[in-house]
Amino acid sequence: MLSLRGITKSYNKGQIKAVDNVNLEIKSGEIFGFLGPNGAGKTTTIKMIVGLLKPDEGEIVLDGVNVWDNSLMAKSMISYVPDNPEIYDRLNGIEYLNFIADMYGISKEERKEKIEYYTSLFNIKDSLGDIISSYSHGMKQKLVLTSALLNEMNLFILDEPMVGLDPKSSFNLKEIMRKMCDEGKTVFFSTHVLEVAEKLCDRIAIINNGKIIAHGRIDQLRDDAKEKQSLEKIFLELTDNE
Amino acid sequence: MNKLISLIKTDLNITFGLSSIIYGLKAKKQRWQIVVFGIAMLSLLPTYIVIVNVLFDFYDVFKEIGQESYFLLMGFLASQLIIFFFGLMYVMSKYYFSNDLNQLLPLPIKPSHILTSKFISLMVSEYFTSLPIFLPFVIIYGIKESAKILYWIYAIVAFITLPILPLVLASIIIMILMKYTNIKGKRDFVRTITAVLLLVAIVYVQLLIQKISQQAILEGEDFYYNIARDANLLARNLGLVFPPSIWGTFALTNFDELSGLTNLIMFVGIGLAGFILMSFLSEKLFFDGLIGNIEVTASKGKGKKKDLDELYIENKAYISIAKKELKMLFKTPIYLLNTVGGVVLVPIILVMSLSIGDPSMEPFNEIIYSNTDIVTLVLIGVVAFFGIMNSVGSTTFSREGKNLWIQRTLPIKAKDQIYGRVLASVVIQLTGIITLLVSMFFIIKLNFFSLALIIVIGLLSGIVLTQFGMIIDILRPMLNWSSPQVAIKQNLNVLIGMGVALLYGGGIFLLVRFMFNSIDIWIIYLLVSAILTISMVILFNVLKTLIDKQFRELE
Ligand SMILES: Nc1ncnc2c1ncn2[C@@H]1O[C@H](COP(=O)(O)OP(=O)(O)OP(=O)(O)O)[C@@H](O)[C@H]1O
Ligand SMILES: [Mg+2]
Repeated sequence: MLSLRGITKSYNKGQIKAVDNVNLEIKSGEIFGFLGPNGAGKTTTIKMIVGLLKPDEGEIVLDGVNVWDNSLMAKSMISYVPDNPEIYDRLNGIEYLNFIADMYGISKEERKEKIEYYTSLFNIKDSLGDIISSYSHGMKQKLVLTSALLNEMNLFILDEPMVGLDPKSSFNLKEIMRKMCDEGKTVFFSTHVLEVAEKLCDRIAIINNGKIIAHGRIDQLRDDAKEKQSLEKIFLELTDNE
Repeated sequence: MNKLISLIKTDLNITFGLSSIIYGLKAKKQRWQIVVFGIAMLSLLPTYIVIVNVLFDFYDVFKEIGQESYFLLMGFLASQLIIFFFGLMYVMSKYYFSNDLNQLLPLPIKPSHILTSKFISLMVSEYFTSLPIFLPFVIIYGIKESAKILYWIYAIVAFITLPILPLVLASIIIMILMKYTNIKGKRDFVRTITAVLLLVAIVYVQLLIQKISQQAILEGEDFYYNIARDANLLARNLGLVFPPSIWGTFALTNFDELSGLTNLIMFVGIGLAGFILMSFLSEKLFFDGLIGNIEVTASKGKGKKKDLDELYIENKAYISIAKKELKMLFKTPIYLLNTVGGVVLVPIILVMSLSIGDPSMEPFNEIIYSNTDIVTLVLIGVVAFFGIMNSVGSTTFSREGKNLWIQRTLPIKAKDQIYGRVLASVVIQLTGIITLLVSMFFIIKLNFFSLALIIVIGLLSGIVLTQFGMIIDILRPMLNWSSPQVAIKQNLNVLIGMGVALLYGGGIFLLVRFMFNSIDIWIIYLLVSAILTISMVILFNVLKTLIDKQFRELE
């Protein structure tokens, strides 16, 4: 279970409040969608969970481990896929995956099995011997996904994972996320694609200007709305800044 | 012409970041960095003052034998040669590997214009390099000779034209090199090796010219007679290594005669002529070497299919970090040149000068043939110097750049970070040690104990200096770059690291010198090792805390 308790983050010495007192509880075995317009604070929130940005206030606890007090432990429980796949482009694919596997301390047999499975699924197996700078954007993203899936994580956290993936890979990724959560892991991802959220997520939260303005099951959100309307309408209404 | 001017302006702005400096002065954090930079510079100052003082004595020596023009020549020669050698590396990274090329190439701009704009900003940076070298010579000569105003005007003109010719030569050499090494596949490797070989060859030729001209002067019994008769004997002969430096020298020594003016015109003229030749050549050469730089080879699964089974290699975390560091270093030409290039070139050049017999190496020769303890100590110093000169430690985190998120989100112990990164630096240092010892083998036979001491104490000090570098780099990593050359060439951490190393190394040097004649040499070795080991342990713990802190707090 992942709990965010009153986390707050400002940039530029408090001039921009990117995330403002966010509270969320996400259960294990749940797929959680994080929605919001551009600049709402999604990436900032995710970076605080994975250890890239220290919250100004509040705490983040994953399965009883305080993410910032016990960061080494927490990091071994989290797999993170960023929105932009900036990786060591002078290495080749297999060197990168071996490096990541070494950091997680994954045995040779286990990494072999997983790498072969996921790279075949994502159709990048034949490129593993090539230097990463020769990869397309989507191929890099798939490599990062593969590297994230090497670890037996408790929390799988992805920042806009569908952007740039072809339809088949994006379908595969959704299947993987489903499977992860059937195995009792927590899956947390941000997205702009409302249909994906609608179909895939157990629950969602909508963030706007750093504040959570709605969260819960999608049917719940529909019931709360005045009339039964699509998620798109709800989203547009809630994030309307006027 | 307008295009050219705006190109030049933009390039100067990118290179020296005028707007970012102005912005930086407003931010507190940046101001702090400027203070650090100032301190780093100040730490180099004592050494500089000592050198300038020695130069005063030099002047007197040459004045006594009536050869003071040779003193000025040394100034010209030193600055132009240094500009040339640094120029080779700068030109390579600036013309061929800088990140603005992707934006410039699609635009309708002539190659010579792109080149000119880059050339001019290189000139500007070379002024900063050559000023501290050139200035003392000209000022000492001017003061001692109580020169008139015209001398100072000529000196300014000479200073302004000084970098042109060496940079032109460097540019032409690199353009040719890049054109003919633009080979698919192993391009980066071929280029780096060729560049290193070229440097060695150029140094060798110069040393040889120097040697021959020296012998020419010394031959016969007429030496003293000749030297008394011809006040420019030394300058004219020893300047042959780079003849334009002779013209620059004579322009200043004869400033009050017509020959001074003609020499000045020749000095400026050859610079301009070279520049025009370079622009002309660039139309034919520049793009040929450039195109294909961005392209990399990919098999797309078509080529040989390696058995993937062999590819699953399991390593301990710190070994894996070291391997990754080394792979990145070896696969990025600009890193390779600045890390391995330095530690391999320095010993080769050192040994070449020793064996050919450059007069400035005379003190070394004396030491070498007199006392093995001193040789061992000096070599330990050289090897230790590799530890900071390879820049591996002082850029280790900066080189991660935008990829730092990878290691910050992985469960890596700070301990493993240190072991891995230090190990990478030690491997690079080892390439330097091997080159040094192999090339030393040709001029002196070291006994087993000396070898062991050089390797063990040298590596130990290398580790300490690498740790100093890492501490500096983790405190102020330079992460926001889009071209790798920025991380290593425009990174102040390298310079600060050298400053710190100089202070630390200088301290140990003074200590050893103080004890040298009064205490048994083995006790000195033991004591130095003990100091190094204690430093290593302390720095390790400092580093561990800092890495933990910075990996959490960087934004
Ligand atoms: N490094 C930074 N420095 C200053 N402000 C920042 C920085 N990163 C983000 N911000 C600001 O914080 C706010 C939230 O940004 P964030 O990246 O979290 O949004 P997001 O929800 O991920 O948006 P998008 O959908 O466009 O990815 C924005 O107002 C943004 O301008
Ligand atoms: Mg975002």
